[in-house]
Amino acid sequence: MNENNTLANDNVTTFLTFILGKEIFATNVKKVLTILEMRPITKVPNSPEYMRGVINLRGNVLPVIDMRIKFGMSPTQFTDNTCIIVLNVTIEDEELQLGILVDAVDKVLELKESEIEESPSIGTKYKVEFIQGMYKLEDGFIMLLNMDLIFNSEVIILAKENESVAIDE
Amino acid sequence: MDKFRDKFIEEASDLINELEKVLLELESNKENPDLIQQIFRVMHSLKGGSAMFGFNKIDKFTHHLENIYDLIRNNKLQMTDEILDITLAAVDHLRNLAQEKDDSETKNNIQHDLLLVKIVDIINENVAGLEENKTIQPIVVASNKELSTYYISFKPYHNIFNYGTNPLYLIDELCDLGETKIFPRYDNLPDLDDLDEKKCFFYWDIFLATNQGINAISEVFIFADDQCKLKVHKISEINLLEEISFIGIIEETINNQKDINIDQLLLLTHELEKVFEKEQAKTEKQTTTTSHEAGISSIRVSSEKLDNLINWVSELVTIQARLSLFAQETETDGLLPIAEEVEKISRHLRDDVFSIRLIPIENMLTRFQRLVRELSHELNKDVVFKTEGTETELDKNIIEVLADPLMHIIRNSLDHGIESTEERKKLGKPNRSVILLKAFYSGTNVIIQISDDGKGIDPEKIKSQAILKGLISHDADFSKKEALDLLFLPGFSTAEKITKVSGRGVGMDVVKRKIAEIRGEVDIDSILNEGTTITIRLPLTLSIIDGLLVQIGETKFVIPLSSVDKCYEFKHEKLANSVNYLIRTDDHEVAFLNLREMFVIDGTPPETEHVVVVQFGETKIGLSVDNIIGQYQAVLKPLGKLYKKQQSISGATILGDGTVALVLDTNKLISDYAHSEKKIGG
Amino acid sequence: MGKRILIVDDSESIREVVSFTLENAGHDVLKGIDGQDALKHLDGSKLDLIITDLHMPNMDGIEFIRSVRAKEDYKFVPILFLTTESQTAKKMEAKEAGATGWIIKPFVPEKLLAAINKVVR
Repeated sequence: MNENNTLANDNVTTFLTFILGKEIFATNVKKVLTILEMRPITKVPNSPEYMRGVINLRGNVLPVIDMRIKFGMSPTQFTDNTCIIVLNVTIEDEELQLGILVDAVDKVLELKESEIEESPSIGTKYKVEFIQGMYKLEDGFIMLLNMDLIFNSEVIILAKENESVAIDE
Repeated sequence: MDKFRDKFIEEASDLINELEKVLLELESNKENPDLIQQIFRVMHSLKGGSAMFGFNKIDKFTHHLENIYDLIRNNKLQMTDEILDITLAAVDHLRNLAQEKDDSETKNNIQHDLLLVKIVDIINENVAGLEENKTIQPIVVASNKELSTYYISFKPYHNIFNYGTNPLYLIDELCDLGETKIFPRYDNLPDLDDLDEKKCFFYWDIFLATNQGINAISEVFIFADDQCKLKVHKISEINLLEEISFIGIIEETINNQKDINIDQLLLLTHELEKVFEKEQAKTEKQTTTTSHEAGISSIRVSSEKLDNLINWVSELVTIQARLSLFAQETETDGLLPIAEEVEKISRHLRDDVFSIRLIPIENMLTRFQRLVRELSHELNKDVVFKTEGTETELDKNIIEVLADPLMHIIRNSLDHGIESTEERKKLGKPNRSVILLKAFYSGTNVIIQISDDGKGIDPEKIKSQAILKGLISHDADFSKKEALDLLFLPGFSTAEKITKVSGRGVGMDVVKRKIAEIRGEVDIDSILNEGTTITIRLPLTLSIIDGLLVQIGETKFVIPLSSVDKCYEFKHEKLANSVNYLIRTDDHEVAFLNLREMFVIDGTPPETEHVVVVQFGETKIGLSVDNIIGQYQAVLKPLGKLYKKQQSISGATILGDGTVALVLDTNKLISDYAHSEKKIGG
Repeated sequence: MGKRILIVDDSESIREVVSFTLENAGHDVLKGIDGQDALKHLDGSKLDLIITDLHMPNMDGIEFIRSVRAKEDYKFVPILFLTTESQTAKKMEAKEAGATGWIIKPFVPEKLLAAINKVVR
């Protein structure tokens, strides 16, 4: 990472990329507060499966969301690479902190505006509005997520039968 | 060097601990300059040491952080939650960095990059306009093209050696600033016979191409400025040392033993610049300083300090829990009694501190008096507002939240509850109607009742309204109480028309929600033509409760002690084989909730389980748990917005070992149970 | 010839590395953990050099330099301060308090000795 570029070019946005299963996602670092090592999570009874529970973050209670479940994958299995990214998100006009459970953090990545492609309206199984853009890699792409919208919605994955509807739109 | 490295790691971890401690203090006291200064000093020490002993990442990291705190302590930057959060995250990261053996820790590297970006962002966003500020220089790395040329005439006085200053050393330092061309001048050298080795007879003409400002040059001579004659001139915006013709002309001048005349020099460079047509493309970056004006708020200092005090006591209670846990685990002689003593003291302290924040409810009654007077006049009703138990005290934070819902309830009474004077006459009621606000203690709760002697609420009317609105079905069989409870449903209002007084859109559901926010319960009772009573049950205080720490599977729960009646032990089989979840305790039959089932907790229950009998109002139920750990003072933390749908848990608390326990809302569990019983029974 | 040098720094590791370097070069080293603490060494005995950090708890470097200069016995002892800052203001402040010069942190032992040799003769 070259921090000097940040100043030199106004159109550069910095992202933190992370891995869920085989896919790479990214969030604007402005949304990120810190990365935490795994620690015991207390499950809150009768809450949705993707809400893994709460942890202690410096004396405050931080909800932790399993991003794999949120993105339609199997629940996260804990490995050495599993960690919690602490985010500041806006939910219903209220700012709050939450943790997301990811398989691994990948890197801090600076992208120029010109390098970011619009997200295609088809061909992805995720709802378009959650993807801010895409960054093409040699063998795939990174999906740049709009974190605020993701946590304002229960459903991120397009259900199979809705897919055709999405294309019609 | 390695043993010093180890020493430094030790020292660094002390410094990092100190940093964390001060930061946590700063959290409740953001403007405290002493704390900021202390943070700056620690950062500074960390930076100095890490640079010394080759911890380059720590060096770089603390360098930026130190800059931030330097700006804050010089009032150029406002301390914000964001900065505090970042610094706290940085503390954790620094701790990892100090322990890091090599660079292979990917997670550390990513965290490093991430935090660095965020820290640099803070500096750039806030201080980009402070051009003069050298602290931001390391971030803006000037390119080679931005070298300027300076001419420095350095003439030491003869006695400069007496001050312990070596002119050559100063020249060395100049060389560190950039590219130099140095011309020593011997013109003043006396004859050998007169040469005094203790005196300096040399002087120097120096040309320096550097990207540093004139200040950096003057700085080299700070300690010698009264020991020499010094002239520093910027002679060009480009690097003239690269121009052979320039150097040639200068060399010629000097060989002729002539002094350099600055005016001629400037003329010369001006000519040269024109000839070479060097571009002086300098894009002055337009930057604006974000001015952070302290927001004017009407917070009373005294109550702010009070909140701080409460926070500290909460912290103390938390740390005391850790101490007790530690004392029990280590079994060190004599530690346990001390821990118990500390627990006792902190309990007293807690009670006393919390009592400071309790204020009598009469403080908020004046506005209700006024409301009743003005509104009754407007509505042409004869109403008197009476109060009882106004000396009853409540936490000031509760009182603040309570004012609005109470206002709404009183308005409802005036508008809908109390009949018009004619109606009252027809019913043979006294002309003057009464609204009574009554407050009293009930265990660890405070009860506030607002009653009127108005027309009351007709449950049949509510039911038909609810059916009309599609909230319930035609054939639903509702008791009077259940019918009245419908009033709390969102969007329900019995007012046939929306009046000016009650306003639009605010119903009893809002009242209920507001009161739930302060962990209160609201109940309504009414007798037709006699009046309506609204009962609000509130906790004495919000932040700390005495609880019973219990465990189910891996999860720990806190049951508020105020609601605990008794605890019993049962064999698992006995509970499992019970009929209708009823068990016999002492000489009563008590229904119990199998929390493990209700909460869908994995694992198998132990052979012997425990049942904690809790009480709310008249209802008692048992809660089955694996294990009772003991009494626990729980500092309540909200679960937050994401768990707002979670009803049976009222919050969480941090345990001595740093994990999170959930606080059960027993009142909610009991009333839910009571409702379901009625539905099953009816 | 060995000199008598006082090193004042709140960081133990810095103190150690400085005194190690100086002792290896044949000097006699006295230590203070902050300004307040270092004053105990100013008992009238001869000192050839004082090296002090600027940011320290209890009594910072500037105040310490002033205290040294206020003592008749130590009016002319060279005082070097350790600094990571390149801020002119701080150096001016130290100079006005009576410092002789500064050493930029981080330093390698050779650089430290070279700087010391400049002021101690």
